[in-house]
Amino acid sequence: MSPVRILLADDHTVMRNGLRLLLERQPHLQVVGEAADGRQAVAISESANPDVVIMDIGMPNLNGIEATRQIVNRNPRTAIAILSMHSDESYVIRALKAGARAYLLKDSAEADLLAAVRALTEGKSFFSPAISKILVEDYMRQLESRGAEDTYELLTNREREILQLLAEGRTNKEVANMLNLSLYTVETHRTHILQKLNLHSVPELILYAVRKGIIA
Amino acid sequence: MRPEDTKDAVVFKRSVQPLQWGTQVALLASFGGMLGLMLFAGVDSLRALRQVQLRNVQIRQTFLLRNRALEEIRSALYQSGTFTRDYLLERDASRAETYRASLQQVQVEMDAALARYSRSLDGPEESPFQALQGRISDYWKVLDPVFHWDADEKLARSDDFMHEELFPRRATTLEIADRIAGVNEQELNNGDERLKDIFDRFRYRMGLMLAITLGVGVLLALATTRHILHLARDADLRYRQAAQAQGQLKELSARLVEAQEQERRAISRELHDEVGQSLSALLMELGNLGAVAPGDAELRSHLESIRKLAEGSVNVVRNMALLLRPSMLDDLGLVPALQWQAREISKRTGMAVTVDAETVADDLPEDLKTCIYRVVQEALHNCARHAFARSVRIQVVQQSGRIHLSVLDDGQGFDSTHTRGLGLLGMEERVTHLGGNFQLHSEPGHGTGLRIEIPLSESAMEAIA
Repeated sequence: MSPVRILLADDHTVMRNGLRLLLERQPHLQVVGEAADGRQAVAISESANPDVVIMDIGMPNLNGIEATRQIVNRNPRTAIAILSMHSDESYVIRALKAGARAYLLKDSAEADLLAAVRALTEGKSFFSPAISKILVEDYMRQLESRGAEDTYELLTNREREILQLLAEGRTNKEVANMLNLSLYTVETHRTHILQKLNLHSVPELILYAVRKGIIA
Repeated sequence: MRPEDTKDAVVFKRSVQPLQWGTQVALLASFGGMLGLMLFAGVDSLRALRQVQLRNVQIRQTFLLRNRALEEIRSALYQSGTFTRDYLLERDASRAETYRASLQQVQVEMDAALARYSRSLDGPEESPFQALQGRISDYWKVLDPVFHWDADEKLARSDDFMHEELFPRRATTLEIADRIAGVNEQELNNGDERLKDIFDRFRYRMGLMLAITLGVGVLLALATTRHILHLARDADLRYRQAAQAQGQLKELSARLVEAQEQERRAISRELHDEVGQSLSALLMELGNLGAVAPGDAELRSHLESIRKLAEGSVNVVRNMALLLRPSMLDDLGLVPALQWQAREISKRTGMAVTVDAETVADDLPEDLKTCIYRVVQEALHNCARHAFARSVRIQVVQQSGRIHLSVLDDGQGFDSTHTRGLGLLGMEERVTHLGGNFQLHSEPGHGTGLRIEIPLSESAMEAIA
């Protein structure tokens, strides 16, 4: 099995060194490059073509979210894990919308990073448990304060199944293959799910799934 | 405002003295004097007119009176001639006696008229009047012997007497009466002359008065105008001074706010990026250390306790940074920052806060973004701290070059026409500094509604487009 090729993008050298040390202790992981800002990250992604990019948000020149958008636009197969100090959901949703598939908090990087890289190589999403906890708590509080009904109850069993697969990062086609359904049926289900949950995009759906505790 | 503009601040040095006693007295005296002159002139002319009128009436009356007396004297003279002739020609003694009685009656009337005339006698008439009196008395004396004549004498002498004594004397006496009438008329004319004199003197006095009043008035008007112009200039100067000071104060406060914001941003960034990142790196290295360290239980427990401390510090630093200035405002834009603020306040107070801001661009100009964020922050703070609201609705709309913000709560409200705290003042200051307008409406028991509207500058609109 060929090693997982990883690019580190963070403006703090100490942080990059620590991450490199952490990752390279694993024999199947290989750090193929380091970038100190967003622009470098985009350039090195282009040349080194990594499987996974570990990306900080607050970086000079081009921030991590913009860099993510550009890298995913050029090569959608690149899996990007945001590694940030920011735990607010606005950063999470923005990162997901830009195309990131994992969101990790820096203070728990040491514990979560390896699990995140594994999830990404399996084509799944990953969120730091601390992030999941914050998102779930916020969601519960909102439900409580607004007295809104739990929209998850509106979904059929099949829709819940598809919601989970989509939230884990599967494409429509993958879902169709796994469940033995036509692509058209999966797309129809997806539309219904978004309507019922009053969501507008797959990133929002992922966030929803995290909040509901459907995925970690 | 650029730094070099501040030199304008020392331009105005002159100050205005308050109106002094001397000026007050002078103003009072001159206005009083002018009014006094006008009053005097008015009274004087009325008095003079009345005098002239009286004089005129008096002259006319005297003239008429004398004229009538003269007429009476003249007619009495004629009648006396007629009665004397009738007496002389009458043969019947008793009838002749009635003529004589009539003649005596005429004499009495003439005496009365003479007496009336002599009462209003004037200088130039004196000598002709005395001549008239003498003639008349002679006339009567000449007539007197006739009444002692018997019938024969009457018959024999009356003809001669009438033609040689009676008629010539009557004629000369009448002549004198005519002369007196002439003098009387002359007197009337003289009276008119005197009236004219009085009039002339009056006119002269009037003219003089008018000239003095006019002169004083012109002087007074000039002095007053000068003083008023002076006051107006000073008032204008002061107004400009005040306006400039106010502008500078506003500028200063805006700059203070800006400086505070920059400071907050710098500290927040520093905390987050330097302290926070270092602590994160520390945690990372702790992890690495844990991986290579021997499995000694004591070492493990120390490592664990260091990790907990560092984790706690990361949280503290993150919260401090967010409270100073949320990083979303700079990293992601206004709306994520507002949403974060709404979630935070909900978490802390249990108040339900909704943010509706779908039409707002991410990259609004820096000052506008900050202004709206800080206004919302202050408003939410008020809702939670003072209004005890249960829910708050924040709406931001970007429409035709303007940003509209409304914050509505269902709290207990207050009397917004009377109460304005420093916080509200600060909000208003921020908004007006960006050329926007600020409206706050609240009534006790009816919640509070805050509405602001800020224009996007042209460069900002281009940047967003």
